[in-house]
Order: sequence, then C-alpha cells, then structure tokens
Amino acid sequence: MNHYDIIIIGGGITGTAIARECSKYQLTTALLERGTDIGIGATKGNGGVVHPGYDPTPGSLKAKINVRGANRYPQLARDLNFGIINPGIFVIGFSDADEAVLKQKLEYGIKNGVRDLAIIDAGQMRNREPHLATAARHALYAPTATVVDPFEVAIAFAENAKANGVDILTSQPVTAIEKRADGSFLLNTPEQQFSCSYIVNAAGNHADEVARLVGIAEYQMKPRHGDLLVLDKDMVNKPQTVMFPCPGPDTKGIACIPTVHGNTIVGSTATMMDDKEAVNNYAPGIQALIDGVHKILPELDAGKIIRTFAGLRPVVLDNNNDFYIAESQTVKGFIHAAGIQSPGVASAPAIAEQVRDLLDNAGLKMVPKSDYNPYREKPTDFDALSIAEQDALIKHNPAYGRIVCRCETVTEGEIIDAIHGAIPARTLDAIKRRTRAGMGRCQSGFCQYKVIAILSRELGLPVSDIYLEDRGSQLLCEAVKGGVK
Amino acid sequence: MKQLDYDVVVIGGGPAGMAAALKAKETGATVAIIERNDELGGILNQCIHSGFGLSYFKQELTGPEYAELFINQVAAAGIDVYLKTMVIDLTPARQVKAMNEDGMLVLAAGAIVLAMGCRERTRGAIKIPGSRPAGVLTAGLAQRYVNIENRKPGERIVILGSGDIGLIMARRLTLEGMQVLGVYELMPYANGLYRNIKNCLDDFDIPLHLSTTVTNIIGYPHLEAVEVAKVDENLAVIDETREVIDCDTLLLSIGLIPENELSQKSGVSLNSRTNGPLVDEELATDQPGIFACGNVLHVHDLVDNVTLEAEQAGTAAAVYALQQKAAAVSETGPVVNKATVAIGPGENVGYTVPTKLTIPSQKPIRILFRVRRPLDQAEVVVQAGTTILYQGKPQAFKPSVMEAVMLNPAGINGLNGSEQSITVSVREVK
Repeated sequence: MNHYDIIIIGGGITGTAIARECSKYQLTTALLERGTDIGIGATKGNGGVVHPGYDPTPGSLKAKINVRGANRYPQLARDLNFGIINPGIFVIGFSDADEAVLKQKLEYGIKNGVRDLAIIDAGQMRNREPHLATAARHALYAPTATVVDPFEVAIAFAENAKANGVDILTSQPVTAIEKRADGSFLLNTPEQQFSCSYIVNAAGNHADEVARLVGIAEYQMKPRHGDLLVLDKDMVNKPQTVMFPCPGPDTKGIACIPTVHGNTIVGSTATMMDDKEAVNNYAPGIQALIDGVHKILPELDAGKIIRTFAGLRPVVLDNNNDFYIAESQTVKGFIHAAGIQSPGVASAPAIAEQVRDLLDNAGLKMVPKSDYNPYREKPTDFDALSIAEQDALIKHNPAYGRIVCRCETVTEGEIIDAIHGAIPARTLDAIKRRTRAGMGRCQSGFCQYKVIAILSRELGLPVSDIYLEDRGSQLLCEAVKGGVK
Repeated sequence: MKQLDYDVVVIGGGPAGMAAALKAKETGATVAIIERNDELGGILNQCIHSGFGLSYFKQELTGPEYAELFINQVAAAGIDVYLKTMVIDLTPARQVKAMNEDGMLVLAAGAIVLAMGCRERTRGAIKIPGSRPAGVLTAGLAQRYVNIENRKPGERIVILGSGDIGLIMARRLTLEGMQVLGVYELMPYANGLYRNIKNCLDDFDIPLHLSTTVTNIIGYPHLEAVEVAKVDENLAVIDETREVIDCDTLLLSIGLIPENELSQKSGVSLNSRTNGPLVDEELATDQPGIFACGNVLHVHDLVDNVTLEAEQAGTAAAVYALQQKAAAVSETGPVVNKATVAIGPGENVGYTVPTKLTIPSQKPIRILFRVRRPLDQAEVVVQAGTTILYQGKPQAFKPSVMEAVMLNPAGINGLNGSEQSITVSVREVK
C-alpha cells in the first residue's frame, strides 16, 4: 500500500490546481478521481468565464480568492500553454434600477481589488458590440476578464502536477475513509487501498458525502443546475465580449460568452436541484437561455446551436453562497475545498494557495522543491500551424497527415498524442476535450467511428469496450455478423 | 510541399464529384478529384440497399454498384485522383490547400467544382432535452457502423425523424436482428420517399407515428428510454400524450445540411433556404470560376438527379477554365457580363435552384424546387409579374420529392432583369 503525505479527492479544476500547488513542495501527493478522466464534473459544465471579482461581497472568502485567482490566469496560461482569450465583460443595465446595481458592483469590484472597471454608456458599448439590443443603456465594463476552457486548464494543471511527481489516478472513487490512531488516514477505492497523512476534499458536488465517510457532518450540499448552449463558429455577428445582464441574487444571469476556439456559449440558468447525478438539459431551461440571450443580442441565430449541455454548481447550504475552504472542525488533517460554485474557475489557482496555507497551518512541513518545473509543453495543434510547419510535421510523422475530425481539423497524430499523453485519454470525450475531435458542428457524426477505431487499436481494447465517458457508456455492441472480423 | 496546376479541381469524390470530373475531362480540361476518404464513392459506399440508378442507368443498382460504374470511368478517363486527401482551405482566387500522408498540397485551379456533400442534423440542433448518454446517434453513422464497420449500435431502437436514411435503417436494423420499435415524425407527414415508407416500414410492420416527437432522453451513462409525445398543429407538445419507451438506441434522421464551410472560406454566398451556394443556371456561384453541385448545393432525394446536376456543373467549370485560359493567351478582354434575372420561390415553394438566370439564354433552363408541405392537387406556375412563363398540369406534391420544370428561353429572354423577377409557385387546385 502506498503512503502519501497528501491525498486529494477529486480531479476537477480545484483538485488539479491543488495538486499542482502541492507538487511545488517536497511532499508525496496523489490525486484520486472517481471518473474515467479528470475535469468531468462541474469543471466541464460551465461557461469558462474567469470572473474578475466584482460580484462577491467585499470581505467574503469568495471576494479575496476570486480576485487573486483571476489575476493568476494570464501567467498560468503562458506557463501551462492553455488557451485563453481576453474578451472583457459587459454587465448590462436596462433601467435606472439596474444602474444602481451596476454602481454597487463597481464599488464591490474596486473594494475587492479588480482593476480598470468602469461604467460605460450605450455608445461605448455599441462601438464594441454593434448588434447589442437597443434597450441596453449602460454597462459595467471589466476589460481584464478572460475566458478559458476549464477542462483544458484542469488537464494542464494535472499534467504539470504529474510531471512534478504527483500521482494522478482516475477511475478511483473513494468508498471508505478511516482516521487511524496515529493520525493518518486509510482510504479505500473498489480496487485499491491508500494511506496518507492529510486529505484534501475537492470532490465537487460530492464533497459532503466524502466528508461523511470519515464522520464529518459539518455541511450539506445541493447542486445549482445550469443549462448551457454552444453555437457554431460560423455564426454571423458573433459577440466579441462576454455579456451578462444585470445580476440576480443567486446568479449572474444568462450571458453570451465568446470561447477560446471561436464558438459562442450561452449560459446559464440557475435552479437548485436535489439530484447530484442528473446533469440533464431541461426544455424550459433551454428556452430561457434563448430568450435570455435575445434580450442582449436580439439577432442571435438560434439555428446555429450545435449542442446543449448542463452543469451542476456545488453549493454548500447555509453558507451565504460562499466557498467552504477550511480544515475540518472535528477531524484533524482533513481539509475541505468545498462548495466551489461560481466563480470556481477563476478562483481555482487561489484556492490551491489557500489550501497550501491550511496544510501548512495544520502542521505539514512545506519545503519548496529546487527542481520544480512550472512549465507544460503545448500539445501539437495541427490547425494552428503554418503550412510549412504542417508539411514538416507530416513528413516527420504521416499520422499528422490523416484528418480524423473534419469540422475542427484534428489529425490522427494529435489523437494518438492524447491517448499516450501524461494524463491519458481513454474515452471518446477525453479525446474530444484534448483535441476537439467531435466538438464541431457535426458533433462526431463523421469521426466517431474513426476515433473508436484509433482508441481500440492504441489501447488494445475491443471496440465494444470503448466508452463515451463514464463506465457503462459503451458506444457499440457486438459484431453484426459473427463470421466477419 | 507539392504545388500543382489543373484546369478543374473537383472537391469531393462522391457521385457528384465523379460525374462533374468526368464531364470536365470530356470537355477537354485537366482534372483532379480530391477525396478525403480512402476510396471514391462517398456515402454511396455505405448505402448497400438497392434503388439507385433507375432513371440514369434504367436499372436498379445498390449504392456501391452505382458508385463503381463511375469509379471505373474515372480510372479510365485519365483524371488525377487524390485519395485520403483533405482540403483545408479554398481562396477566392481558387487556390486549394490540401493535405495527406505525404504532406501539404497547394493546387491552383482554373475552376473549382464544390461537391462535398452534406452532413446530418444532430441532437444539439433540435435541442432534445434530457441526459447525454451513449446510444444517441445519427442514422447515417449507424449505417456506417452496421454496413461497413460490422457493429451493432444497440438492440432496441427508436428512430426520430422519417428522413430516407432513417427509413432505410429501420429496415436494415430489422434485417440484422435488431428490434426497431417505431419511427417518430414531428410533422403530420413523412419526410422520406413514399417507396421507402412502403418498402422499409410497412413491409416490416414497423409503426410510423406522425405528429409525434421525442421529448426527453432518459438514462446515463447509457440510454435506457426515451419519452415521446404527440404534438398539436402548432407543433406544441400535448402533455397528456407523453409516453416512455424503453430502448437502448435512438437514431436521428432529422435532416441533412449541405457542408459549405469550405465554400464560405472562398467567399461564396449561401442561400439561407437551402444552406447551399446561390447559383445561376450554369451552377456557377457568385465567386468567379467556382461551381457547385450535388448535396453541397441542395439536398437531393435521388442520386440520379445528383449525377445530372453534377454533369452540368462539370461541363460549365471546364468551359469556364478553358475560356479563361484562351482569353489569357489571346489577351482579349474579360467575358462580357450578360443581364441576369432573379428567380425564387413563390406560394408553397421552399426554394429554387438556381436563384438567378442569365439572359439572353440559348437553351432551355431546368429549375429545381421543393414544395413546403404536401399538396393533393396543385399546379406549378412560373411567372414574372403577370406573365406566365410555365404552367403545369394538376398533380400531387410532396416535400420529400424534388421537382423540376424546364423554362423556354423565348419566355425569359424578353424580361428586363433589373425590374422583373421570376417566381415559382405551386397553387392548389380545388
């Protein structure tokens, strides 16, 4: 049985950011993720906005962590080579009442330390967004706001953590935790047992259940569900700016969000739910998104929707909508990074630093590594290369000359890279998150069979064992005719 | 990096691309076909059912047989075929950037024929609510799995949409031992051809539920059931008709979309009604020297019509390229622009191909169109203002059937293109 100084439970953007932070120190760390890939819970179910931090109430934990985390992103994107764009945010007011809210957000933002905020008028908005609704009167403009693909960030964190010695283990749902007399923990997964001195609970929507495994009942959680839409890259009059309406009490409202790869996301609704597993889309939610975005962009072509998806924001109940980042009151050495609802993406880097300080306070000796490598190499992105570079790459390896996904121009070489990458892609959706194969307008109608064949060949598995995402999501059954192989 | 020069470059080696290339070659041009798959034939290769070729070859062929007749001709004609080669860019100056296992290729073309075909509409496009499990796929992908990859997508199948591929697959899956529980169609009429309803559903006792749609997808990580419900005349779901059907596979046959992302890179303007390029009677797009045919132009129901259309585009592309070459040598001026007159859909008609005609014209012009809804007794009327250019005999019309009328040059040559436009209507006859 392997003993670690730290075991992180949960491989979302929070857990992987913590893993990378821990990898900077002379510690042994493992991350256990229940899913077949990292970044497939709340991390993949949001719009990817790195909120700059004008929303949280000044003085709250969220306020401090949000701004600090968001400020880390530009440097992180350079070090870890993930995609980032800087579209800025408009929070749009349509009335005098809205203007009062915008002024309050401006004040919050200034108090929280957000840079370059300003209230702008309709003319200034329309200079940037000519197709904006005529009813839009003013906006809080946050020019520093960025957008990322959160799952790409989580993969980058995890790969870099792994390069610095962290064990990243997928398909390892923690089923039991025991606090032993010597203060250490014993953890069971269906196939393995682990021991560790400290646990970091970054289990997203399931953090309360994980805590309960070791007898902690400090909080209860429920998911706040959101529907989201993805629109085609070739949509005309695409927004250049993230645009929210004036916010409500529990939600920032329905926004249009330019993405790193040139799509537009519309999201998201916000409805408290009981079922933590039902990451479903709901018809009223989808309609609310279309109606909501039309209030901002009346001409947006809903015919360009290529996908609907959903996410569950992990909410700790009776916690003022705040994060719950603390050492357990009852079980020493058990650190919660729970209730990481919005702005979880923005906050992740700072949550990791907060957890580091909590571990330090809890008695873990944090000695920096001398050989820590903060950089992650960029995976080959064929589509982004010049024609001469593309030609040279194909001459070097003909697999880069075979297009698998025509919508997003993804080559077989890139898919093979993903399968044999530091955090290996073993499912169709894992390939999609790393390479974009299947993420385009045909939604894998043309490439699914090719990707299944490549996965089967590279992993030495029969095609009937290739999953879409989670265990049990096989895409194909047995052969139609037994005689033909 | 390879640099190549052709009079005509045909993008796509399916039925449209092959027919266009053959005619271009016959006209005297040097011709290349660029095909992304490892063989010519396109989607015909997975259409192993029969019913192809009845009008063009006067015999009933399977998809692969129909394709083979053209593949053999292409091989004999001296056309350069680039297989496993993907076009990734096309400029207005007709420079084609492509790639294959040997590296990058840049082709300069005197004319281009767009023949990339179409793709299937997906679950996302119609926003079906519910979970997002394995087991939901388009009918064409299922066809690929069963007919080429030799794999079953599941055992208990529900099909949404009565497009032809869905109907064909209902029969195919039944023959391969899977259970097809029913075909559900949102509209009050079937979207596929009558012969497919009869041969693929009726003959196998597979129920077709009209005015019914899938309202929820149930189960995760794999599909376990779908909820279906009837819709009213405004296509709104009737709540009390909701019903859950246990199944492990949902096939979507909900429409086809011409694949024009490459066309758009070259600056070609699209028709919002077809999602294909706007073309004139020569199938020329609004970018000089770029022509379009087959399902990339508008979705066809019969491959025989694709072949005819593609032959026209291939000939026109070759003529264009050869004339430009000759003009460059003789240093004469550019081709003089003739007048054009717009043509478009009127009452009950969804679209027309072409959308503009060049006048004066020397020869009869074929106009293709589809009706928007089924009409039991109606007549085609083509008119410019109050002048009737064509009037058909009363007959039944269905949206699943592409219609054609021929216009005489005499009628249209007298029009003033800047002031008059032509509409194609289908009027109910009481």
